[in-house]
Amino acid sequence: MKEKDEQLGRRAKALFDASVDELDAASLSRLNRGRQAALAELSRQRQPWVRWLPAAGVTAAVLIAAMLLLPSPQAPVVPVAVTDMEILLGEDDIDMLEDLEFYSWIDMALQDDDVG
Amino acid sequence: MSVDAAVFAVSWPGERDTGTQALESEQQFNRFLADVERRALRIAEIAVRDRDEALDLVQDAMIRLVRKYGHRGSDEWAPLFYRILQNGIRDWHRRQAVRNRVMVWFRRSNGADEPYDAVADAADPLGRTPDEELENREAMASLESAVRDLPARQREAFMLRTFEGLDVAGTAVAMGCSEGSVKTHYSRAMHALRDQLLEHGPDSDRPGD
Repeated sequence: MKEKDEQLGRRAKALFDASVDELDAASLSRLNRGRQAALAELSRQRQPWVRWLPAAGVTAAVLIAAMLLLPSPQAPVVPVAVTDMEILLGEDDIDMLEDLEFYSWIDMALQDDDVG
Repeated sequence: MSVDAAVFAVSWPGERDTGTQALESEQQFNRFLADVERRALRIAEIAVRDRDEALDLVQDAMIRLVRKYGHRGSDEWAPLFYRILQNGIRDWHRRQAVRNRVMVWFRRSNGADEPYDAVADAADPLGRTPDEELENREAMASLESAVRDLPARQREAFMLRTFEGLDVAGTAVAMGCSEGSVKTHYSRAMHALRDQLLEHGPDSDRPGD
């Protein structure tokens, strides 16, 4: 019985191998393409950052487009009256504001003296 | 030489080694897949009776092997590859079963009854006479038919052991079962095939090649 099993196994293997040798060129070509796709996957796995490149590129392009196309946010315009109120309500001496140029000149002159 | 310079100096050979190892690993994978792909295609084709579907299953198995088990040792690749392929074949049969039920529900033919013709028109690359070629093709057709008639697990065990040449341990990994189960499935498969091919088939008096 075991001899018959071995005989059957050998015969089956020989027939199978013959059918493998008879595979047509189109099938072999598709197998080759499949193998190359698998090897490309292997390369991608070794360089994981490569798979994020397209996504990073698209994200960067979207950001740049958004910066160029969308209106830039304006600085809030503070009404003049509000600015004046801050000065009026401040604890600084209001008289000093009347001679701003004079105080600026003194400041520059003192700096020049320090340097000299 | 400063410590940093020393570290830098010894890091370059390591970098080169990593690159060389990657290349060698890729070449190893290429050799393995090139060696196994044609037999895998025929095994899948016998299981699903469609070469295009079998090609898709084999390609999918190759990519999954690399993606999931690329880091494993090369001696593990064959059982793991066939495990992925057998899982793919089982999934394919499940999808076909669902599809066939849906087709029956809508009372539409899905073409599954069309005769399957695996005989190619190309000349015999082994230089056999047309009679020998025809005889072998008929014998292979009988064998394929008998193998397809086996229960799924017996068919898997027979094809992996006989066609692919995996040992019992490798077949057990590929089938996801114990080695004892492999022996049982294989023994039953051989018994069924012997009954069908050797005792009642046309090759009953033919000695093995």
